[in-house]
Amino acid sequence: MTPPPAESVAAMIRPVPRAPDSKVNRDLLAVMEGASLGYWALLGLSVAFVGLAGGIWIYQVYKGLGIAGYIHPVFWGAYIVTFVFWVGIAHAGTLISAILFLFRAKWRNAINRSAEAMTVIAVLTAAQFLGIHVGRIWKSYFILPYPNQRGLWVNFKSPLLWDTFAITTYATTSIVFLYVGLIPDLAIARDRAVGWRKLLYSVLSLGWQGTSRQWKSHNRSVLHLSGLATPLVLSVHSVVSWDFAVSIVPGWHATIFAPYFVAGAIFSGFAMVLTMMIPVRRIYGLEGYITNYHFENMSRFILLTSIIVAYAYGAEYFMAWYSGVESEQTAFYRRAFGPYWISTWTMILCNGVFPQLLWFKKLRTNVPFLFVLSVLINIGMWFERYVIIITGLSSEYDPAAWGIYTPSWYELGIVAGSFAFFAHLFLIFLKIFPVVAIAEVKEIAIHERSHAHAGEH
Amino acid sequence: MAELDRRDFLKLVSVSAGGAAAAGCSDHVEKLIPYVVQPEEIIPGKAIQYASTCLECPAACGLHVRTREGRPIKLEGNPEHPVNRGALCALGQASIGRTYHPDRYAKPRLRGAGGAYEEIGWDKATALLAEKLGAAGGRVRALTGELGPTLGSLFDRFLAAAGSSGGRLHYEPFGYEALREASRAVFGAGVRPIFDLEGADFVIDFGADSLETWLSPVEHARQIESAREVTSAEGREARLIYVGPRLSMTAGNADEWLPAKPGSEGILALAIARVAFDAVRSAGRPVGGDPGLLEGILAGFDAESVASRSGVPAETILRIGRAIAQAKRPAALPPGVALTSRRATATTAAVLILDAVVGAIGTTVLLPAEAAAAPEPASFREILKLVDAMASGQVAVLMLGGVNPVHSLPPGAGFADALAKVDFVVSFASLPDETSERAHLILPDHTPLESWGDAAPQPGVRSLVQPSVRPLFDTQALGDSLLQVGRAMGDSVAAQLPAGSFRSLVEAAWSGTDFRAALIRGGVFEAAPRGGALPVAASAARIEFKLPQFEEAGPYLVLPVPSPLLHDGRGANLSWLQETPDPVTKVAWQSWAEISHETAKALGVERGDVVAVETGFGRLELPALPRGGIRDEVIAIAIGQGHTVGHYASHDAEGRAGEARGVNVIALLPPLTDESGGRAWLTARAKVTATGAHARIAQLQFTDNQRKRQLAESVSLAALAAGDGAAHGEAHGGEHGSHEIRRPYDPVNDAVPESPYRWGMAIDLDRCTGCSACVVACSIENNVPQVGEEWVLRGRQMPWIRIERYLGDGEADLENGRRRPEDREKLGDVDVRHSPMMCQHCGAAPCEPVCPVLATYHTPEGLNGMIYNRCIGTRYCSNNCPYKVRRFNFFDYQIESWPEPMRLMLNPDVTVRGQGVMEKCTYCVQRIETARQDAKNAGHPIADGAITPACVQTCPTHALQFGNLKDPQSGVNQRIEGNPKRAYHALHVLNTRPGSTYLAKVSRGAEPEEGGHS
Repeated sequence: MTPPPAESVAAMIRPVPRAPDSKVNRDLLAVMEGASLGYWALLGLSVAFVGLAGGIWIYQVYKGLGIAGYIHPVFWGAYIVTFVFWVGIAHAGTLISAILFLFRAKWRNAINRSAEAMTVIAVLTAAQFLGIHVGRIWKSYFILPYPNQRGLWVNFKSPLLWDTFAITTYATTSIVFLYVGLIPDLAIARDRAVGWRKLLYSVLSLGWQGTSRQWKSHNRSVLHLSGLATPLVLSVHSVVSWDFAVSIVPGWHATIFAPYFVAGAIFSGFAMVLTMMIPVRRIYGLEGYITNYHFENMSRFILLTSIIVAYAYGAEYFMAWYSGVESEQTAFYRRAFGPYWISTWTMILCNGVFPQLLWFKKLRTNVPFLFVLSVLINIGMWFERYVIIITGLSSEYDPAAWGIYTPSWYELGIVAGSFAFFAHLFLIFLKIFPVVAIAEVKEIAIHERSHAHAGEH
Repeated sequence: MAELDRRDFLKLVSVSAGGAAAAGCSDHVEKLIPYVVQPEEIIPGKAIQYASTCLECPAACGLHVRTREGRPIKLEGNPEHPVNRGALCALGQASIGRTYHPDRYAKPRLRGAGGAYEEIGWDKATALLAEKLGAAGGRVRALTGELGPTLGSLFDRFLAAAGSSGGRLHYEPFGYEALREASRAVFGAGVRPIFDLEGADFVIDFGADSLETWLSPVEHARQIESAREVTSAEGREARLIYVGPRLSMTAGNADEWLPAKPGSEGILALAIARVAFDAVRSAGRPVGGDPGLLEGILAGFDAESVASRSGVPAETILRIGRAIAQAKRPAALPPGVALTSRRATATTAAVLILDAVVGAIGTTVLLPAEAAAAPEPASFREILKLVDAMASGQVAVLMLGGVNPVHSLPPGAGFADALAKVDFVVSFASLPDETSERAHLILPDHTPLESWGDAAPQPGVRSLVQPSVRPLFDTQALGDSLLQVGRAMGDSVAAQLPAGSFRSLVEAAWSGTDFRAALIRGGVFEAAPRGGALPVAASAARIEFKLPQFEEAGPYLVLPVPSPLLHDGRGANLSWLQETPDPVTKVAWQSWAEISHETAKALGVERGDVVAVETGFGRLELPALPRGGIRDEVIAIAIGQGHTVGHYASHDAEGRAGEARGVNVIALLPPLTDESGGRAWLTARAKVTATGAHARIAQLQFTDNQRKRQLAESVSLAALAAGDGAAHGEAHGGEHGSHEIRRPYDPVNDAVPESPYRWGMAIDLDRCTGCSACVVACSIENNVPQVGEEWVLRGRQMPWIRIERYLGDGEADLENGRRRPEDREKLGDVDVRHSPMMCQHCGAAPCEPVCPVLATYHTPEGLNGMIYNRCIGTRYCSNNCPYKVRRFNFFDYQIESWPEPMRLMLNPDVTVRGQGVMEKCTYCVQRIETARQDAKNAGHPIADGAITPACVQTCPTHALQFGNLKDPQSGVNQRIEGNPKRAYHALHVLNTRPGSTYLAKVSRGAEPEEGGHS
């Protein structure tokens, strides 16, 4: 890997970190200041969509799930598809923060904050779909194993219960992780802020002074949290995949699902980081911090996971053929050539074929290309879940009870609303919290400098 | 806000909190009021049954009306009744809905000057009718349906007293007038034959559709399927052969289907009779008449010449002729409605001659002299004469009861116009229809559940109708209305009428019997007189046997098919019948035109493309449904839809007031009669053109290919005789009979070992005809909502049991998966498998482990329980159910599916499910619990047969059996163990260990394999 361009990093370095208002601080905190008309327009648009989706949801609770496009026997639809999609998106953050931290992949520092924020927001978005999906949201607390006089308990055999635990654990851990990483940066922001922000950051930064004792504790916390979060990266989507793999539905019942889903999640997560960070970098002029070097590294990850995902697609078809099970074969045949062929081929092209272009270095460093590709991957990954869930259910064991599902406009409204929900939280995050981890960027810079010194000696 | 002080704030808070609390309460408040005076016999929570009679069709099946707290909640067949022996058809099951129908006339209505109706009191209504009748000067006529002997004779006496010149006509759209006339022509006896198929070993059905609507379908279905029971040696010999242009429900249950040219049934029967005649004579047996006479009649009908005219190969005719001659109890059934051509009497006569030749007269075809007294529907010719009289102003007052001629007569008959020329039309309908809505005065009758009455469907059967509920509305029994009007007309009329109420008349009519016993039994049932073996009379030689003529307007022959569910359309306003899909095409709520694939290709249409069907008499547009099981020159359209009045019959419930639901095929037909004045249905050829429009067809089954998945299995009779097991030897490496297709009862996985019960069911596909009575029975028993056409189109139907229809084992090849449903039917192919599919109550149920809240769980008795209150609606259980029998409450169906007063018929033993929960078949757990309580009270374990789920109870052919799998002596176990080579578990490869065991259909082939009839 090529090291980051030395001049940009060298420019940030001061011999002594004396002034709180270093260039790094100014550059990175500038993102949080003011807001252009464009920002407000975007925020307004996303809030409007969230409101619309909320309205649809209230109507759905009042009227019944029948307003969605479900058709016997396809009783899971766009809501679960979108749920799995957002859980997948939520993977890159922890992967970048925890696993790459443990592997000491320094290039992660520029993007880990945004990735972590994305994780938290995506998990929150995903979790809502559990409530949107169920028939009686007003009774959905039944799924929690709370003690009660009636002696009712939950079914620990059900993957949906595992799911509940996995998602809540993951959400908790990612929020803690994001917050702990934020503390030093919040202190920097506190030192510069006035008014309500001062109060907010003062409270949130927990009296951070930057003493070496604090740094030591901080680093240790991050290390331990990374250790805790690492298995979660693998477990959450494994558990989500078991929602399907544990069932007997043809096209769902496959042992490959856990690694397949995890790879897919990382794949989509990185794509989403690209989709979000390319415009942010452009708009806020962060080219000095988030460099093409970072994008290229992410592209390599995308390429790797794309190959895994494509392999999984192939393996599914191979197993369907090799199993000799007719229902399985029919399910997969109908996937590719049945009523859902558009979704299937969208998925294969976007996730398996297009990312192969990243073998070319020119394209890995071509930012507009990466942006387009990342959007395509997001689309492809949504369709991957659509294909798995819907085609599996639409043609199960009893051919007399097959059905063709199409999402209704209400459902699509709520799905669109989830993107707006994600966007509006991210936009708010941009303005309240440092979107690039200031302390960690500095750490690299210092590291670079000491390396440079070491070279001189 | 500044003005808001602390006290105001507190007030506001308390008001809004109170409001919120109130809003949180259910908006349908129900009051539980205890009886102030406990009525005799009524024990809250305990069902009381009243024996009565189903008056939906002239077959008059016996009923047990189950009532709870004074309300009928379910109709079941009366096991003692000789017609139905405890079973009911779908129409009979659904007919309970008439009493609670939201459309019911609540009071008498009088049409005002502007055409709008106003409700009036009975006194005024009675006086008005009396006045009109008095002023009519004898120009009074009546047109009624089947009324039963007592009411019928009262009506006739009333008309006589009122000075009516023409009297009353009994109009039955499916009147089968040709039967009596043909019997007169062939045997010289004016007796409508009675078909007793008990033990029949060779039934050839010339389009009678004997399992669907013909004469007495419940009785015939039971008799035919029992005769074919494969465990008995005789049953293995029995065959059902169907002749007709379309793979109807009956055809699909036959062992052989001869898709003869429509109209050629008569000559085909004669050709078979000729072969049989020779065989019978050479065997030295009597031929049912003077041999010379018969020889003369049959002379021109040799197999070769008939083969070319009927499209049935000569070898087939020869083979069937020889086989029927060999049979011990053969029966040939004449055409039903769809094939009633303008030569119906001759065709029917031909079939009766065949019956005579093979010795069926007196054994399976009965012509008892006693039957001559039975009231017969008026012939179509008489109905047309009445219409003429009305049109020419000869009728001043027309009284209508139980008929809907505006819908069921061809428009060419001009009934609607003639009705407008009648000075005063009075209708006694209890529910609105096209005809009653044209009446001047409506005097609403009670529904049969509120009425006294009787029926005499066949000699030896006198069936009683007794009320089981106090009338819901301000209605009056038709008999009482007549008596009241008669008394209001003055003493001279009153003197000619009996005193007392109609009820006292019924009691008087039954005075010779033990009335109390008859009330308990449901009537008086005696051994039916069978009549002798009447010989073919000389008059038979004068019958002309020719192919019928059709009114030509195009190349396609219109085949009006009686709907197995809606009958002639009388069932159209019952939501259960609309929502239950047609047994053959699986279309619900709509009309469709069945055409062959060839025809579809020629017309350039695909499934759902709207075609215009045009005869010289009418034009209809409806979606095409191409299928393989129909002749190319035929376009088949079911009778029964096309109503413009009625809550479910038309579209009026959905803001499309007065718009017809589907089309009325009768509008295409001319008002023609056969040779003897009976109604002819198969009369017109039509021009069919594509309109370019497309409609969505509410078809509930995607494909008839089961892809060799062992859902609906079949075993050949030969294999069965050889000791081989249910089908698919080849799929299992040729290990016939030795491979495991079901798991025996497993105490560890299937139920709690200590529990004495493991509930299970046997489902005999060889007996299931697909009639769908179980579907309706289940829906009514279990308060299953009916969701309507719009939601059926979106796959939201809710039935707990459905009848799957598969053709053969299917093909496992990967299809291209187009949206168009597959269709594997072929002309002459009868491998149709009707398979009831409901919750299998698996021992290792896939639905159970995936529910996060344990809303679905396993009971100690092996049931797959469902706790509605615990369900949060994740719907994972349905995803994981391989049988796809779970249904989800997408909406709150409580209000819309049971509009007032339909909620009164909800079964109080079964929870009405709320929005957002899953539901499914429970094996009628409420009945299990009732039986458990009874057994506990009596101090013994639950006896075998004490529990009968609704589907099992109503099955006309006894295809279903329920019981305890842990009891080796239980009926269900005996049945499964008694058929070891047929028993299998659906989708057994999934190892779900179901409680329901299927018995494979037996494919018998055209004739017994021991064969050698030559």
